[in-house]
Amino acid sequence: MSMVSFQHFPIYAILVLFLGAFVVTAFGRKGTVRHVVAMLCASISLLLLLALIKPVMIQGETIAYWLGNRVPAGGYAIGIALEVDALNLFFGLLVTVALFVSTVYSLSYMTHDEHQAEYYTLLMLLGGGVLGMVLSGDIFNMYVMVEILTFSAVALTAFRSKVYGALEAAFKYLVVGSIGSTCILAGVIMLYAQAHTLNFAQLSALIPGNMTPATKVAFALLLVGFATKSFIVPFHPLAADAHGAAPASISVLISGVLTKSGLYGIIRIVYMLFGTMQLGAIQLLLVFVGSVSMFVCVTMALAQHDFKRLLAFHSISQIGYVLTAVGLATGLGLSAGLYHAMNHTLFKGLLFLAAGAVLHETGTTDLDKLGGLSKRMPHTTALFLIGAFSISGIPPFNGFASKWMIYQATYQKAVESGNIGYVLVTVVALVTSTLTLASFVKVTQSVFFGQLPKELENVREVPVGMRIAMGIFAVLCVLTGVFPNLVTAYLTEPAARAALNALGYIDSMMGAGYAESVMVTPPAPVAVSFAASGVWAPVNWLLLLCVALLGITVVASLGKYESVSERSGERVAAKYQLFYGGEANWDAQVGGGDLFWGFKHNWRHYFDFMHALHSGIVNDYAQWALVALALAVVVLQIVL
Amino acid sequence: MTMFLNALLFLGYILIYPGFLFCFVVGMLLSGIDRKLVARMQKRVGPPICQPFYDFFKLLGKETIIPAAANRTVYLLAPLLGLAALVTIQVLIPVFRFTAFSGVADVIVILYLLLIPALATIMGAAASGSPYAGVGLSREMVTILACELPLLMVLLAVAKSVGNAMGTGLCFSLSEIAAYQSAHGSLLLRPSMIPAALAFLLVIPGETGSHPFDAAEAETEICEGMLAEYSGKPLGVYKLSHAIKLLTMTSLFVALFLGGLGTGVTALDALIHVALCAAVTVVTVSFVHAITARLRIEQIFKFYWTVVAGLALISLVLAWFGL
Repeated sequence: MSMVSFQHFPIYAILVLFLGAFVVTAFGRKGTVRHVVAMLCASISLLLLLALIKPVMIQGETIAYWLGNRVPAGGYAIGIALEVDALNLFFGLLVTVALFVSTVYSLSYMTHDEHQAEYYTLLMLLGGGVLGMVLSGDIFNMYVMVEILTFSAVALTAFRSKVYGALEAAFKYLVVGSIGSTCILAGVIMLYAQAHTLNFAQLSALIPGNMTPATKVAFALLLVGFATKSFIVPFHPLAADAHGAAPASISVLISGVLTKSGLYGIIRIVYMLFGTMQLGAIQLLLVFVGSVSMFVCVTMALAQHDFKRLLAFHSISQIGYVLTAVGLATGLGLSAGLYHAMNHTLFKGLLFLAAGAVLHETGTTDLDKLGGLSKRMPHTTALFLIGAFSISGIPPFNGFASKWMIYQATYQKAVESGNIGYVLVTVVALVTSTLTLASFVKVTQSVFFGQLPKELENVREVPVGMRIAMGIFAVLCVLTGVFPNLVTAYLTEPAARAALNALGYIDSMMGAGYAESVMVTPPAPVAVSFAASGVWAPVNWLLLLCVALLGITVVASLGKYESVSERSGERVAAKYQLFYGGEANWDAQVGGGDLFWGFKHNWRHYFDFMHALHSGIVNDYAQWALVALALAVVVLQIVL
Repeated sequence: MTMFLNALLFLGYILIYPGFLFCFVVGMLLSGIDRKLVARMQKRVGPPICQPFYDFFKLLGKETIIPAAANRTVYLLAPLLGLAALVTIQVLIPVFRFTAFSGVADVIVILYLLLIPALATIMGAAASGSPYAGVGLSREMVTILACELPLLMVLLAVAKSVGNAMGTGLCFSLSEIAAYQSAHGSLLLRPSMIPAALAFLLVIPGETGSHPFDAAEAETEICEGMLAEYSGKPLGVYKLSHAIKLLTMTSLFVALFLGGLGTGVTALDALIHVALCAAVTVVTVSFVHAITARLRIEQIFKFYWTVVAGLALISLVLAWFGL
């Protein structure tokens, strides 16, 4: 009985968002109406998916839902299907959580913008598109949803069309995004021509044993298509432009959710549809692209002068971590990758919202023009620091837990496979992590600490609604970092098991015994170990830290501190002023861009090369996409 | 009753041995020995060995001035948090066969925990608003970047080498590495681990910010950089942290490479451990300090990513092939 009612939850979760999009357009002229509708839709969709955690994640059920009850007949699945196993649900949860927080934030963030009804329409369409894409059980509907999410994302990128560069960014996104969507459509057509079905489960049964040159091309097309959606190298320049122009609440979705839909697509096709993940060459391909993404994008981030562009590059760097971990094809690696994907949605969402808060109050995100905001915006600063520590992998925040698992997984893979190349991956991952820390030290120093410029004297803290939105992400960042065991047990391990269990997926959709009847060698569920070789117990460590901190603070707080509260205009005593080597008080801050000269000097040739490469011309980026596609086609023909 | 005793033991580990009190006394001693020896090598008389203690207590009694431009909370909290984080690292490092808390963190986690004190200093410096601190924290961050790569490679080499010998392939647990060494002799005796040990020895002065890798402090150019605006108690806490970092880094070296020299008697082991830490300090910090001049920041970076990382790489490759 209960199972039957759960069956309908996924379709309701998608429908409510699409319905909301239309309702907002029709009745959203009044602020309260559109706020209520948007909040209601985002909350209902979130609650519906949260309700599925127990049956799907914990009890291990798979929901197969056929629209119009057109169940497979005669061994062919013709109807439109939704399929929810732990992997889809995991990504679905990311989508709905991010959409919910983004909506909460938008309520106060977008108050000064025009065309708000259209904004919420597009927001709901974007959310619904991504949710539909990850819950879809057939590959054509995946494509349809990809189109919906791409076009709403393009429109939202250009939403503040008066901002310099917004239309250009949207145009670039449109061009390369369309190349990606076209690749997916072409791949779907080729698969249909080969297997005469669009259902994901049926394809997963028919394709793996019968790879033809045409299906290999389809594989390459789908891989490149989904890669453009997740902005991994060589599609990363788009993300920087798009994030730089889009409203922060949209950046949360583009970085936290849209890129994840691309990743979801990649995981589904390599692990299931083509069943190729046990091939060393495919593993190497994904790990290579992932490692290049994480390193190239973190160095690009280090060279940025704009808060949001910097975050955009970090976003792809973190996606690189996920792809690397997923590409290892081990239980620990997959689980670590999904864990990091979740963490990325949380901490990067938080950071984008903090950047939006800075933009909202100061009107700029230029690192060289900001400074000293911590005294004006203390809450935003604290929340930003939680996000910055999380992404830099500082224990005990969540970024550390997942990165630590990724290091273990890559090194274990190196030892198990005997391939010393994977050691290099561990090293690159850790160096990337330190570079990430460096670039967030730069942001902290040049936005929140240092000297407050004269123009920003009157800056105030952002409205409560925006702080609540950031607070939700911050609390989740801490919780998922301190209790990694719960996260892996109830979220990432079930999802990883689902990704590795192609047989279970096929049987749950097509009926038990279908896979055995059409496949020569039905895929056995892969036995994998989720055990890490190292140890990390954050709760125990926190206990140690708290006791030590308490002891030291008690000792240190004996006695008195002298200080003076800063009052603008009033002359403070000389001893409370900063030391300038005896010179008069003058502005002598190190600009954000020059902060890591010692590092950049040694890598100057690399940086020169990268600057030359990233021309900002969309023709170049379209060419990169086509070259990537050609390479993928050739490589996959050879290795498969 | 047992719970009470356990809690007492827990507090004792953190606050007395091998925690706060032990760190305080030994760290300050190491710092005093270092100062005295450098002075003697430079034909100066030098301060008494106990000078760091006197300095510390003097600073505690001084007025603490919080600059008007500073963010008060971060400025005051950063030194305390950094010190607490250092103490927690110290209790996780085994003293030969004795480990106060095993099963909390492995070597990769320690690598990250080591970032916290440095990061706390950076945050405090940024919060002080001083331009000298701005330059200092930039250099400190580049120094961290420089040291991180060789340090990671050393840890990977050790993990692989011990893992090979134990038949598990790799071993990240510090207490298992210590147990292995006490059964089979120190890792330093293995030829393949000697380059890694050398690399680690070279990382110690970088991590502790001593000559010639102290561009981040550089008293003569940027007025101690990150500490430029600090005074009184917070400054004292920073000085203490600096001394304890000496102990932490040298302890880590002893635990990773000299773990076979223990006797099994806890008190005696502690003494041997301190003596070895002092010896390592003298070799890597004092001696190097006395004979070198300060490097520029880009030279530091280059040195670590080429020479030191190269040494670590040799060990890693040798360990990889089972040597």
